[in-house]
Amino acid sequence: MSISVERYRAISPSEFFYRNKEIAGFSNPARALYQAVRELVENSLDATDTHNIYPDIKIIIDKEDSSEEIYSVYVEDNGIGIPPNHIPNAFGRVLYSSKYVLRQTRGMFGLGAKMVVLYGQITVGRPVEVTSSPRGFSKIYRYKIMIDIKNNEPIILEESVYPNINGWHGTAVRVFLKGDWQRSKNKILDYVKRTAIITPYANILFKDPEGVIYYYQRLTNKMPKPPKEVKPHPKGVDLETLKEMIVRSRVRSLKDFLMEEFEGVGEKTAEGIIRLAGFRSNQSIRKMSIDDLKKLLDAISKYEDLRRPSADHLSPIGEELIKIGLANMFKPEFVDALTRKPIAYEGHALIVEVGIAFGGSIPEAPFPEEIMLLRYANKIPLLYDESTDVSFKVVSEIDWKNYGVEFPARLAVLTHVCSTKVPYKGVGKESIADVPEIEREIENGVKELARRLRQYINRKKRMEEEIKRAYTFIKYIPEVARGLSIIYDGSQNSYEIIKEKLFNMLREKVSVKNIRSIDDVVISIE
Amino acid sequence: MNTYSSKIDLEARKKVSALFREKFVNIVDSLFKNVEPEMLIPKRTLSNTIYDPVKKLLLLGDEKLSRKFFDMHESRKFMQTILMASIIYQALINNEYPTIRDLYYRGKHTIRYRSYTGKIEEENTWDEQSESDSVLRDIEVYTNLLREEMLILSKEKGKVVGNMRIRSGDDIIDLSKMGHGAYAIEPTPDLIEFIDVDAEFVLIVEKDAVFQQLHRAGFWKKYKAILVTSAGQPDRATRRFIRRLNEELKLPIYIITDSDPYGWYIYSVFKIGSITLSYESERLATPEARFLGVSMSDIFGDPQRKKKPYLTETERRNYIIKAKEMDLKRARELKNYKWFQTKEWKREIDIFEEKKSKLEIEALTSKGLSFLMDIYIPTKISTKDWIE
Repeated sequence: MSISVERYRAISPSEFFYRNKEIAGFSNPARALYQAVRELVENSLDATDTHNIYPDIKIIIDKEDSSEEIYSVYVEDNGIGIPPNHIPNAFGRVLYSSKYVLRQTRGMFGLGAKMVVLYGQITVGRPVEVTSSPRGFSKIYRYKIMIDIKNNEPIILEESVYPNINGWHGTAVRVFLKGDWQRSKNKILDYVKRTAIITPYANILFKDPEGVIYYYQRLTNKMPKPPKEVKPHPKGVDLETLKEMIVRSRVRSLKDFLMEEFEGVGEKTAEGIIRLAGFRSNQSIRKMSIDDLKKLLDAISKYEDLRRPSADHLSPIGEELIKIGLANMFKPEFVDALTRKPIAYEGHALIVEVGIAFGGSIPEAPFPEEIMLLRYANKIPLLYDESTDVSFKVVSEIDWKNYGVEFPARLAVLTHVCSTKVPYKGVGKESIADVPEIEREIENGVKELARRLRQYINRKKRMEEEIKRAYTFIKYIPEVARGLSIIYDGSQNSYEIIKEKLFNMLREKVSVKNIRSIDDVVISIE
Repeated sequence: MNTYSSKIDLEARKKVSALFREKFVNIVDSLFKNVEPEMLIPKRTLSNTIYDPVKKLLLLGDEKLSRKFFDMHESRKFMQTILMASIIYQALINNEYPTIRDLYYRGKHTIRYRSYTGKIEEENTWDEQSESDSVLRDIEVYTNLLREEMLILSKEKGKVVGNMRIRSGDDIIDLSKMGHGAYAIEPTPDLIEFIDVDAEFVLIVEKDAVFQQLHRAGFWKKYKAILVTSAGQPDRATRRFIRRLNEELKLPIYIITDSDPYGWYIYSVFKIGSITLSYESERLATPEARFLGVSMSDIFGDPQRKKKPYLTETERRNYIIKAKEMDLKRARELKNYKWFQTKEWKREIDIFEEKKSKLEIEALTSKGLSFLMDIYIPTKISTKDWIE
C-alpha cells in the first residue's frame, strides 16, 4: 500500500468562490446575467428602504458587443452610499461586509456583489465601475476596480472625485460580463416585476438590451418599518458563531458574556445556564475549550426558561403594501394579505406573510399546480425550483373547490418568509424546505385568505344570480304584456300599462338598479 | 267575417272565445290589483293521472301546478302559455282554423336582449313544436276547453264508412256512398250532427289495410256495421267520434288490433283514455268499448275454457312472430296499470309471456278474407268472446 501525500495549500476566499461559482448562482451565462441583476438590485434596496429612504432604482442592461454575448449591467440607487475609503474593499475583497450584525437584510454576507465583479472579471476582463456618495457628502467618488484573486485584494485602476452639486447620494455600479439575454429575459423581467410587487413604495426603471423600458412607479408613501439590529438569541447560535462571538467580545467572564452578547438573557437566566452546563460564573471565556463550548451549547438547548426570540430585527412587508402591490400589478377583483405573528424557528424569529389575488390580468391556471405562485424570502423573489418549495406544496395541496375556486382560475398566491434563518433547500437559495413549523404557518395563512376569498366569491355569485334572475323575467315582459293585452282589449295602451306594471313589480322583487327601462334590455330584432 | 263559415262554427266560436277570454283577463285584472301573475294549471303528470274504477276512465287528479311569471323555473313557460293563448284567441275571433303546426309557426320568433354581461343574446319563444304543443295542452286543462272546441285542427287520420248520414258544416254526407274511399273523421267531431243510422254495431280495425279489405268486401253492408279505422294510435277526433256513436246512438263498439302489447294499448286508449292526455278522457274515452281480438287465446286456444284456437298449429307457425324484449317490457308495464289487472287481461298477458309470441291481424286473412269476415268476426261477436 502506497502512502499518498496530500498537498495542502491555502487558497484565498476569492479563489474559493470563483472555483465554486455554481453555489453563488453563476453556473451559466444566462443564470449569471440574472444573478448579476439580482445581487446589485438587492444591494440597492438594502441601501434604501432599510434606511428609510424611498428607493429610486435604475437598472440598465446593454449589449456591449455586436458579435459576442457581452453585456453591461448598470444599477443605480439613491441609498446611503458607501464611504469612499470602503469602496475598494466593498467591491474588491471577498468577505468584507457591513452586514455582520443580526437583522433581516436581503443579502446576508455581502458576497453577492463581489461574485458579480469576480465573474465579470474572468469572463470579460473589464473592471467594475463604482460611483458613490454617502448622505451629506459634498463629493462624488468614482472607482474602477478589479480583484486580485490570489491575494483577495482590490486593485484600483482608476480613482476620481467630482463635486456633488445636486446633493445626490447613493451608489451606481456598472459591471461587464458574459451573459445570455435571450435565455434569461423571462426570468429577469419576472424578477423585476416581482420585486416591484412587494416594493410599491419604490420607483423602479428597467431598460433592457432591446431598448424596452419597464417603469414601475411609486404607488404609496408607506414603507415597511426598518429592521432593528438585535443580538443573537442563545438558541440561535452554533459552535462557529459562538467562537466568533468570543473572539469579538470585550468581556471576560462567562456570565458577563451571556448577559452582554445575547438577547433575552438576564442574570438569573445566565446563572441558570451556567449551572446546567456545570461551569462557574467567573469562568473565563477565552480559556474555554471546544468541548467546553459544546457543553455550553448543550446546556442552552436544554434550558427551557428562555424568552422567545424578539422579532424586532425582522421587517415584514406588511398587509397593506402586499395588497397595494398585488392590486396594482394584476388589477384583480379580489385581493387580501395577512402578516402572521412571529414564531420561533431554531432560536430565530420567523414571520410568514401571505397574499391572494383573484381575477384581473392574472393568467388562467388550468389546475392548482399552475396557480401563479409569488414566493419571497426576506423580500427577495424566488424564481427557480418552484416545485420543491414548501409554498408550492401548500398551495397545490389545498382543495380549492372548498373555497369556491373553480379551475381554470385566475389566482395568484404570494408567500413571504422572513427570518434571519431561512431554511433554504440546496445551495441556490431558490426554494424553502418544507419544515413543519413553516409549512403550518404558510398553510394557515393561505387558508385564512382562501376563506375570505370564498366569502367574496359567494357574495359575487349571489349578486350575479340576482341579476341573472332579473334578466330571466325582464326579457319576457314585452312578450307577456303583448299576449295579455291582445286578449284583454287589443290596444297599444293596455300593452304599455301591463308592461310597466310588470316592470314595476320586478323592481320591487329584485335589484335592477342599472336598468332604467325594458327597452334598454329587449331590443328590436330588425 | 267569413260569410262562408257555417252557422254551427260561428256559434261555437262565440261561446268558446268568451270562456277562453275570461280565464286570461283574470290575470290582467289581478295584475292591476298588484297580484303577481299566476296560473293554476292541473298537473299533467303520471302521478296526477288517476284511474277511476267507477267511471272506468283515466282522469286527471286534483294536483295543480302554480305557473308564476316571477318564478325562475316557470317564467319561460308562462311567457309561452300567454303567447299561445293570444294566438288561439286571435284565431278564434278572426274566424280561423289553425292547425297545431300553424300555432307553432305563428308563435315562433326571436327575443333579442342585452344580457347582464352586456352581450347581445337571442332566444326563441319556442324552438320545437313539442314546446308549443305542451303549452297548448296546458291551456286545454287550464281553460277546461279541448282544442277541438277552440277550433284548432289536426291532421285527419281516422276513417269511417257505414249506413249512416251526417251533417258536417252545411252539408249532409251519406257515409254509405263513399265508393272505395271513406269519410275522413273531421278534427271537430262535436260539430257533426247525426241524421240517421242503420247499423247494429261499430267495428274498429286498428289497421287501415284490413279496413280497406273489409270495406271493399262489403262487410259493413252484410253485417249492418259502422266500419272505422284509427290507422294506428287513434287521434282525438276518432276517439271522440266513437264515443258519440256509443253514447248518443247506443251502438256497441268492437275493436280489433294486432295481438301484442301495442295493440292492447291502442284498445285501452279508446276505452279509458291515454296517460298523456288523461284530461280529455271524460270526453274522448268510451268505457263500453270491447276488445274483440285478436286475443292470445284465439291463436293458442285456452284449455281451461275449452276454447279451441282459430288457427291450427301449422297455420299459426307461418305467422307467429317472436316477441322482442321491448314487447315483453311493454307487457310488464301494462300489468302495472290498474285497468289491465282484470282476470281476462291477466290471462291474455300470461299466455303472451309464456309463449313469447305475437301476431298481426293480417295473419287471419291468410286463411282467406272470408275467414276473417264471415267466420272469425261473427263467431267472436255471437259467442261474446271479447274482453270488456
